[in-house]
Amino acid sequence: MEQRAMALDQFSLGSGEDFPALLRRKGLLGQPTAIVDLARGGGSSAMTQTESTTILAFKFSGGVLVAGDRRATSGHTVVYDRADKVLEIDRHSLMAIAGVPATAWEMARVLEHSFQYFRRTQLQEMSVDGKVRALSKLLRDNLGFVMQGVGVVVPIFATYDGNSHPEARLYFYDAMGAQFEAADYAATGSGSPAVRGILYYENNWGAKPLKDLNEDEAVSIALRALNTAAETDTATGGIDRTAKIFPVIKTVSRDGITTLPNDKIDKVYNESVA
Amino acid sequence: MIEEPYRWVEAIANRREYVETQLSSGSPIAALSFRDGILFLTLGRNRQKIFEIYDRIAMGAIGHPGDIERLRMAAIELASTEGFTRSAADVSLRRLAHYSLSPVMKNAFEQVYGAPFLARLVFGEIGPTPDEDLFLRVEYDGAIATNGSGGAPVRQHFAVLSATTASNELMETFLRDSYKIDMELREAVRAALDAWSVGHLGGTRSNGEKQLPDRDAIAKHRDEQLATAGIEAAVLERNASSAIRYRALTDEEARSLLA
Repeated sequence: MEQRAMALDQFSLGSGEDFPALLRRKGLLGQPTAIVDLARGGGSSAMTQTESTTILAFKFSGGVLVAGDRRATSGHTVVYDRADKVLEIDRHSLMAIAGVPATAWEMARVLEHSFQYFRRTQLQEMSVDGKVRALSKLLRDNLGFVMQGVGVVVPIFATYDGNSHPEARLYFYDAMGAQFEAADYAATGSGSPAVRGILYYENNWGAKPLKDLNEDEAVSIALRALNTAAETDTATGGIDRTAKIFPVIKTVSRDGITTLPNDKIDKVYNESVA
Repeated sequence: MIEEPYRWVEAIANRREYVETQLSSGSPIAALSFRDGILFLTLGRNRQKIFEIYDRIAMGAIGHPGDIERLRMAAIELASTEGFTRSAADVSLRRLAHYSLSPVMKNAFEQVYGAPFLARLVFGEIGPTPDEDLFLRVEYDGAIATNGSGGAPVRQHFAVLSATTASNELMETFLRDSYKIDMELREAVRAALDAWSVGHLGGTRSNGEKQLPDRDAIAKHRDEQLATAGIEAAVLERNASSAIRYRALTDEEARSLLA
């Protein structure tokens, strides 16, 4: 009983801490991983790690579109062909992940709870800058694992900023936690070089710039880009229509997140990709 | 000397009187089930009294802001860590109140050398149907009252929180008569406002008042208060597509439902 009362007393001082700090205080989340000295044989270099997947995102007329393939690999083995790498964090935020699933999903979970915890305790929504920074901090805390050759995560974060100048916002990160705001598009994962080429080309010399595309046109380009990535990258799953495995495509707009149903993707695929 | 049992009982009685006096000016809160959710409603002029605790749980509180804040943070922390380590479905209002808040509040109240919590709390947890909605009131001494469970034949679809026990009882009597199951939000807002009016009238009168005021007096007091105070209301939505069910109603939104 005494211990309970003491535990409660801490709450009065705890109101300023963020959710990861609360989890650490309760022993529910690991401490930031230590960075091992590579010179003494700490593990493989971060440079040799692959983020085996393809994730892409770009702004279109209806907000931001985020798409990811479904393949999860381990070395040369396909482990799972229905992985969902585009995760909903809150009503207006998506995080798409390339990298080690265990770390990435844990990060997404911490992030999701962080935003809600902030809103509930502080009685206001966390700002977009605050959310972007929160993910950056989680990546930075994970750096030790990255340097040891396990746990690299390179995410994309898409959200809709409902402030006085409402607009869709798109960010990409490196494995150390640096954040970059993307003007038009972002891509990450092993298949991303091909995708980046396509998106650059479409944005500059396509029928119209990405930001002016309607939803069907945007979905079409996303599918073509993912198919192109799957052509040369073994870690990227293509579209398997016999098994009804389609990429995950979600959009973020003023009204929130929409997940595109499979038949819609199938229809667009039929009309403009196949 | 406080170690003598008699002195301790006396000290607790004094303390109860002190806490009751401190809490006697709070604006009442009415919480009730309607078809599409649970409505929390109060009238106020300055600070927020209805809060989101977790996906399906909301809280209303009267008392000292500092104490309310500590209890609110405790509830959010417990629910959030539980929801993170297990799942949102494992966060239960019953456990939160019975195993965490109540023992701490009772302990603070009975440790006569320390400060008690100057706060009364009312919680609501949304269920799939109004019959499965849970309401729960936690008093400053850790006592818990629920809307009926454990095989109780009559289950109330509402809960009230008021400054005094007498006005609490008046509000409950009023709602027992006027509450209808499967109300629309519009009707629920009206019922909650009238219940608030009953509670507020009961709180401002002398403590001996046990009679329910008549309909006209309730309506008159309600309209007088509406002219100068704001409506603070929140809804836990029953069939929301998102996991998060809490939605605050603005004063304008609540007033537009009265038109």
